Amino acid sequence: MPLHVTDYTWTQTDSTVHISVPLKGATAAGVDIVSTEEYLKVHFPPFLFEAFLFEPIDDDRSSAKVGNGVAVFTLPKKTHKVWEHLMITTDDKETKKEIRARALLTQEQKLSAELKQKAEKRQAEKKYALETMMKLEKVERDRIQQMKDAEREKTTAELAAWQLRQKQEAEKAQQNQNHQIQQNPDTKTPGSRQTDIRKNKQVHSDAEKKKKKKIRAQLPPPRTCGNIPVTFTPRVFPTALRESRVPEEEEWLKKQAEARRAMSAELEELEDLTEEERNPDWLKQKGDKCFSNGDYVGAVNAYTLGIRLNRKLPALYSNRAACHLKLRNLHKAIEDSSKALDLLTPAVSANAAARVRARVRRGSAFCQLELYTEGLQDYEAALKIEPHNEALQRDAQIIRDIIQGSAEQNGTQ
Amino acid sequence: MSSPLSKPQIIAHIQKSLNYTVFDSKWIPCSAKFVCLGNFARGTGVLQIYEVQHGEAQLIKEVEKAKPIKCGTFGASSLQQRHIATGDFDGNLHIWNLEALDVPVYTTKAHKEIVNSIDGVGGLGIGDGAPEIVTGSRDGTVKVWDPRQKDLPVANMEPVEGETKRDCWTVAFGHAFNDQDRCVCAGYDNGDIKLFDLRNMSLRWETNIKNGVCCVEFDRKDINMNKLVATSLEGKFHVFDTRTQHPTKGFASVSEKAHKATIWQVRHLPQNRDIFMTAGGAGNLHLWKYEYPAQRSKKDSDGADVGVAGSVSLLQNATLSTQPIASLDWSPDKQGLCVCSGFDQTVRVLIVTKLNVA
Repeated sequence: MPLHVTDYTWTQTDSTVHISVPLKGATAAGVDIVSTEEYLKVHFPPFLFEAFLFEPIDDDRSSAKVGNGVAVFTLPKKTHKVWEHLMITTDDKETKKEIRARALLTQEQKLSAELKQKAEKRQAEKKYALETMMKLEKVERDRIQQMKDAEREKTTAELAAWQLRQKQEAEKAQQNQNHQIQQNPDTKTPGSRQTDIRKNKQVHSDAEKKKKKKIRAQLPPPRTCGNIPVTFTPRVFPTALRESRVPEEEEWLKKQAEARRAMSAELEELEDLTEEERNPDWLKQKGDKCFSNGDYVGAVNAYTLGIRLNRKLPALYSNRAACHLKLRNLHKAIEDSSKALDLLTPAVSANAAARVRARVRRGSAFCQLELYTEGLQDYEAALKIEPHNEALQRDAQIIRDIIQGSAEQNGTQ
Repeated sequence: MSSPLSKPQIIAHIQKSLNYTVFDSKWIPCSAKFVCLGNFARGTGVLQIYEVQHGEAQLIKEVEKAKPIKCGTFGASSLQQRHIATGDFDGNLHIWNLEALDVPVYTTKAHKEIVNSIDGVGGLGIGDGAPEIVTGSRDGTVKVWDPRQKDLPVANMEPVEGETKRDCWTVAFGHAFNDQDRCVCAGYDNGDIKLFDLRNMSLRWETNIKNGVCCVEFDRKDINMNKLVATSLEGKFHVFDTRTQHPTKGFASVSEKAHKATIWQVRHLPQNRDIFMTAGGAGNLHLWKYEYPAQRSKKDSDGADVGVAGSVSLLQNATLSTQPIASLDWSPDKQGLCVCSGFDQTVRVLIVTKLNVA
């Protein structure tokens, strides 16, 4: 419960009321004042001074001085009258409460109005600042634009003047020509016209050169016919740079180069072999020969030796897969063609044919093992690489029919 | 504010919207007129002559031809006659007298397919020697014609039998400093650049710049060959120093990447051979200056002379449209005046200022 302050003093004139409230040791900062037209509250904990004023006062003009242990209020009256009392004489709590509530409300409103005003003022100032900035920038821009326009006008004026000069000179040249034709018709006229036109070009002002051109009557005869054969740069991959899949193609070339160079380290066992037999290419050729003669086992041996020497040649694996197919070693065929396909990455147009062959071999191995769906997958992959191969299309269709036929069979059963 | 405004400025003086696709535009020498070549939507060719008057381009003459016209040049005609040589989509080469455009002065079926590029030398008082026209076509051949010889080309550069042919996209004359010497440079779509010597009828130099060559030009046609600029797809251009040819390494070059798109054209300023402008596929123009190195040639390890390439610096650039600018021509009479046309069916006359200072 706050303690009411009762030892206040007040004086009045016709127009103002002065109230002096002792602060009892409170600092100026700790004093909270609420003042409205009919209510004045001074609160410095734990003390409280309330005044329900006798008559309304002019709140806007009222002032308070807080300091030296006392708060002095100067309240100009609304109506110039001498008050009997400072406060209204009523003990009715209700009225007091009402007055208090009203006062607080007015106080709130006043505060919010003040805030709004401050905000508006700030807004207005910002706007003003912005506008001045824009004006300054506009001035700058206009200046630059003016300079540009001046430049443009100057050049167009020069252009117009030059055109006019051209016309005048053309007319003058025409007149000269007419004169000269009247005087003596000789081959000098084209020369003089040339000299006039040359003045405009500022290229040759050398008198000797002009004379030379006048004298030179004949142009050289047409050149004797000649033919120059042209060859174009061979491109490994004939596509434009942006369309080429250069990184993949380079990778493939590098792999091939490495494969050629890779030599196995197991040289002790292979010491009894001849030079030829150590060359994987030679072995591949030998294998191919055996294959075409029907000697599939021999071909397999040759390829195997080649693979031992060089594990990175996809052709050896692929051809060995073909041999295994013929020998009906179907699992081995599948293994070898898978290995070949692994070595044939990245997929580029250069190894397309090899990839098709490997896929077809693996596909047929799957079909012979009656794994028709896997076989079909391989055939379809081969078709994607070579869509126009009719044999592939026929075989793929056959496999599809077989699959459908077996599905029906299983279904009906 | 001095430095941005002391650079050369590219100012669009006149912009004229046309109702046909325009492929080439060329100034008529010694006049303020220019010719536009192209094709109408109905598939016929058109030739229009405009005059620059009072800040406007006035149409003076228009004539329609049977086949669309791709390119033209005044390079081989004399100053009095000012005949234009044009190549069209059908492979025909015609030379027209602009006063009487109904019947060509010279006509021949130059190639089996479209004539992609044409150049002329020996006329206009520039250079010595016979007037000649070179055409390059999609059929892979480059042919040199003399207007005084009917039907047969004076020189024919064609692929060897059995060779897959590559489109020739651009041709240019150069090295025509006396009566006999001439060189033709041709650029192909696989990136080949070949330099043919017409005096010896042989291939003098070739190289490959990996991307299709859109335009080649010598800095001057009528001097001992000095510099050659070749532009290509993917925004690169190369400047070759052609004064010193090494037996194996060829010419020294410097290359620059700009434009972010195909560089369609390069044209040297007639009044200053070290300044050139490139026109790009994004509708922008870049103005470049070439600076020579301290020493243009040096000895390499074998004692042979090898050239030293200089450097290229960008003077100014301007974006004029969103469509490629396919043709560009400087006026030989007024420094800084140029006409350019693009695939947005507009032809523009530009003024480039402050080229004396640059």
